[in-house]
Amino acid sequence: MEPAMGMGLVALMGAAATVAGCSEDLESDIGSQSNPNSQVQLAAQVGYPHRIFNKAISGEPPSNAMYCAVGAGVAMMLLNSVSTSPLLAIAVGAFVAALLNGVFSTTAYMGRNASQTRFNQYVYLDVLRNHVLGIMGHAYVTTFCIVGLSYVMWNQNLIGHPFPFPVIAMIWGLAVGAIGSSTGDVHYGAEREFQDFKFGAGLNAADSGNITRYAEAGLRSSIDNAWFCSKFGGPVTGIAFGMTVFLDNWRSTAFQGWTAVVAGTIIVILIIIYNRYLELYARKNYGPYPEYSGDVEA
Amino acid sequence: MIDIITMLATHWISIIGIVIGGICIAVGVHFVPVGGAPAAMAQATGIGTGTVQLAAGSGLTGLLAAGYMYKTLSAAGAVGISEVILICATGAVGAMIMITTTMIVGNWVYIYGVGVPPASAKVEYDPITKNSQAPYVAPGTVGQGMPTVCFVSGTIGGLLGGLGGSLVYCMLMWVNGDPAISSIFAIGVFLVNAVLPSYNIQGTIEGFHDPKFKRVPKAIVACFIASLLCGIIAVMIPGTAMFGGI
Repeated sequence: MEPAMGMGLVALMGAAATVAGCSEDLESDIGSQSNPNSQVQLAAQVGYPHRIFNKAISGEPPSNAMYCAVGAGVAMMLLNSVSTSPLLAIAVGAFVAALLNGVFSTTAYMGRNASQTRFNQYVYLDVLRNHVLGIMGHAYVTTFCIVGLSYVMWNQNLIGHPFPFPVIAMIWGLAVGAIGSSTGDVHYGAEREFQDFKFGAGLNAADSGNITRYAEAGLRSSIDNAWFCSKFGGPVTGIAFGMTVFLDNWRSTAFQGWTAVVAGTIIVILIIIYNRYLELYARKNYGPYPEYSGDVEA
Repeated sequence: MIDIITMLATHWISIIGIVIGGICIAVGVHFVPVGGAPAAMAQATGIGTGTVQLAAGSGLTGLLAAGYMYKTLSAAGAVGISEVILICATGAVGAMIMITTTMIVGNWVYIYGVGVPPASAKVEYDPITKNSQAPYVAPGTVGQGMPTVCFVSGTIGGLLGGLGGSLVYCMLMWVNGDPAISSIFAIGVFLVNAVLPSYNIQGTIEGFHDPKFKRVPKAIVACFIASLLCGIIAVMIPGTAMFGGI
C-alpha cells in the first residue's frame, strides 16, 4: 500500500473513532449506564425518587463489545452472502445492533424501576418513550463508526488485519466502552449528577445517592444530562478513543519493526510528562482543601 | 489418547509461553489503578471503571497491534524467538498507548470538569514525586484522579497486560497457525487471568504502592494453575489450516 494511502486510512479511522467515542459516552449518559448508575440506583433507596433513565445492562465494555460484534457479524454476513456494498452492510449491521440496544434498554429500565416501587420509584412510560430512541440513535452512531473502522482494518485490500472482522469490532467495542467508562462518565457521575454541591469540593461519601433531580426548569431528565455532558465529557471521550486508534495505528503505519516500538514508547513517555505538568497545574491552582487537619504539609 | 500426549509433548514450549503470558497479565492487572464506581464519582483514586474491563480494553488493543505485526513478520519468514520478542514489545506498547491516553483524558475530566486535583489516599507522599497527598484529598473521600505514581503504575500494568496477551497469541499461532482461533482463545486466556486477580483487588487498587499489591503472589499461584489448564486445552485445538481449510 502507498504510504500516503496508509496515512489517509489511519486518519479516517482516527476520525471515525473520535465520533464513536463521543456518541458512546453520550449514549451511556442518556441511559445512565456504567458506574454513575450506582448513584441513580441508590437515590430512590435513600429517599430521592427521580426521573433519570436507569439501564445498567452491564459494564460499558462488554455491552459495546457485543453491539459492535453483532454489527460486524451482520455486515460480514451481508457482504459474503448477498454481495452488498460495504457501506450498506455496515449500516444494516449497526441498525441491528441499535435494535438490540433498544431491547436491552427497555427491559433494563422496566425491570430496575419495577423492582424499586417500594421506594416510590415508578416506571414512567413517557421517560421510556422519550429516551430509548435517543439511546438507540447514539448506539447506532457508535456501532456504525466502529464497525466501519474495523472494516478498514480487516479488508485485505486496505490494511488487511489477520483477525476476523467481528473480532476486530469486538475488541474496539471493548476498548471504547473501557475508555468511555473511564473518562466521560466521570463528568456525568462526579459533576452532573451532583451539581447541587460546590464545584471542586469532591463528593463526600455521606452524600451518596443525593443526586440532582431538578433542572433549570422542572424535573431533570437524562436528555438534560446528555446536553450537559456533550459540552465536555462526550468530546473528551472521543478525543481519548480517537487518540488511541490514531496513535497506535500511526506508529505501526509510519514506522516498521523496532522503530515503531520506540516511537510508541516515546509517545507514552511524553504523555507521562504531560500528566505531571497537569498534576502540578491542578495543585497550584486549586491548592489544598481547607478542611484538612492533619500533619502533612501541602 | 496417544495423539493427545503427542500434542502435549510437541507443544510443551507453547504451554510454558501461555503460562508466562497469563502470569504477566495477572501481575499487570494489579498495577492498573482502578477505583471502580467510587472513582467515577471522584470518591476514590484511580480510573473510574472496573479492573477487568480496563485491563482487557488495554491488553486487547495491544493484541490487535501484535496480531498485525505477527502477520507482517510471518510474511517475511518463519516466526522465531526474536520475532516473538518484537511482537510482544509491539503489543505492550499498543496497550501502554491505550491506557496512558485513557488516564490523561481521565485526569482532564477530574481537573477541568470536576475541579479536583489528583491525589492518593493510600500514601502521604507520592513515592515518585515526593509531593504531599493528604491535604489534596477531598473531605469524605479516599482520593481522586491519577497522581504520578498511579499514572506510572498504570503504564506498567498496560505494558505487562499487552505483553502477556501478545505472548499468548504468539504461542497459539505456533500451535495452530490460525489467527481467528488464536485471537479468540487469546482473548479468553486474557479474561481468565484478568478476572482471577480481581478477587485480590476487591474493586479498587491504586497501583504498586497500594497495600493490596502485596497480595500478588496469591494471584500468581492461581493464574499459574488456570493458565496451565488453558495452555493444555489450547494446544489440543487445531486450526482450520490443519483440516485443509484456509
